[in-house]
Amino acid sequence: MEGEEDLSNPNKTLDPTYSHPKHTAMLERLSNRKQPFLSRNPDSHPFESTNSFLSRFSQSKHSIDSDLTRCRQSTDPDSKSTLKSDLEAVSISISDLEKLVAENSYFLPSYEVRTCLQTISSLKQSLENVTSEVFPKKKFAFKSKKASSGVLDKTEIENHDVDLEKPSFIVPDLPGFRNMENEVLVKEFKGSEMGEFSISDLNSCEVRLTGCLRAIFIHRLKNCKVYTGPVFGSVLIEEVEGCVFVLASHQIRVHHARASDFYLRVRSRPIIEDCSGVRFAPYCLSYDGIERDLKESNLDEETGNWANVDDFKWLKAVQSPNWEILPESESVGGVTILNSDK
Amino acid sequence: MGLLSIIRKIKRKEKEMRILMVGLDNSGKTTIVLKINGEDTSVISPTLGFNIKTIAYNKYTLNIWDVGGQRTIRSYWRNYFEQTDGLVWVVDSSDLRRLDDCKFELHNLLKEERLSGASLLIFANKQDIQGALSPDEITKVLNLEALDKTRHWENYWL
Repeated sequence: MEGEEDLSNPNKTLDPTYSHPKHTAMLERLSNRKQPFLSRNPDSHPFESTNSFLSRFSQSKHSIDSDLTRCRQSTDPDSKSTLKSDLEAVSISISDLEKLVAENSYFLPSYEVRTCLQTISSLKQSLENVTSEVFPKKKFAFKSKKASSGVLDKTEIENHDVDLEKPSFIVPDLPGFRNMENEVLVKEFKGSEMGEFSISDLNSCEVRLTGCLRAIFIHRLKNCKVYTGPVFGSVLIEEVEGCVFVLASHQIRVHHARASDFYLRVRSRPIIEDCSGVRFAPYCLSYDGIERDLKESNLDEETGNWANVDDFKWLKAVQSPNWEILPESESVGGVTILNSDK
Repeated sequence: MGLLSIIRKIKRKEKEMRILMVGLDNSGKTTIVLKINGEDTSVISPTLGFNIKTIAYNKYTLNIWDVGGQRTIRSYWRNYFEQTDGLVWVVDSSDLRRLDDCKFELHNLLKEERLSGASLLIFANKQDIQGALSPDEITKVLNLEALDKTRHWENYWL
């Protein structure tokens, strides 16, 4: 066994003292075979040494890093379009770098290959981060709106437009009150027009809706008071701050509300999500004919559900810190809409 | 167990369909399921978690998984993808402001490999509300024409 291995050992055949015409021919063949490999285009495999590869790698990494920082810091809205192509260029350099590692992996120690690949994946991650920072996706825009306390600023709108694909269809507006300040907004719903209503982008307004409604969408209110008659379907409230709501509905969902009070009558359990400092109390609206409207909407009975709030951000048995029951001493007591107010 | 009984069992299994109902919160998923099942829909709280309903239809047994749509729990949808035969995407046709959200979540969902074999039904709910978009308009807004051509999808409304 050992002898056989010795015979097949190529080192033995390379021994110069061991010369046989057959072996000389083989040596020649072997050296010829090595020739084309060494004389290959030096550009494709310029390193063959770990050190020179690593220095080239870290050089590219640094230039990509600095490109990314530049993209992140650029705030000029006019440069949006160039920014996009810049980011694409960065993405191409990253994949070039990846290719470089792959091409040279045959001689690199496996530890170096692993670290290089890790570096590349972290580069990809930071490219993704920068891209989503500079061109926020819908989801990110939503979160940042919350931070801007309900008022959408201009740059956000611009980012948003860049991000949207060309709409193939223009969505019409719902009937509603929007974009107003310091106003008293009144609407009476008669039985035949039991539609839906949207209330959005109001600042320091008072909204009074009487009669039955099918659904209400409330979005981005600040320091407003909203009083409504019974809603047969659902109410969706998003991004409000410093508001008072007096609502009766079959379903109520509240998202991203801060420091607001809700006086509710609701058939099911109201829910909150991403809210803080919200307080709940029983419904206390009265106007001429509200008893009939409540009965018609199947909301004439007090279910006590106004206090059964489910917080989707607090799925624990103990009371959520995000909401509380409004102390009676701080309650408005009752809200009456007089006929002359309507 | 004889061969015959094994075959019978497989046959019975084939008649069992797993249907996943998803969509944004407030789109009416639970209401639809209860309505189809002929149950009372007057008191429905927003779904915290999920409901399962088994409905017999034409010799088929439909296991309907109705999963809550609040933003916080949307990330749990993927726990229900396995072995889904039918996907029902419910749209609140009157919630015009969040249609972009709806489109984003739907297209996100359809990237999921585990759902690639499932038939898709787009349910344009709340057509009775004044101002709601028609199913054709919903098709356009959600960009359904751009969907993978290999998928079988259908638009439906009540």
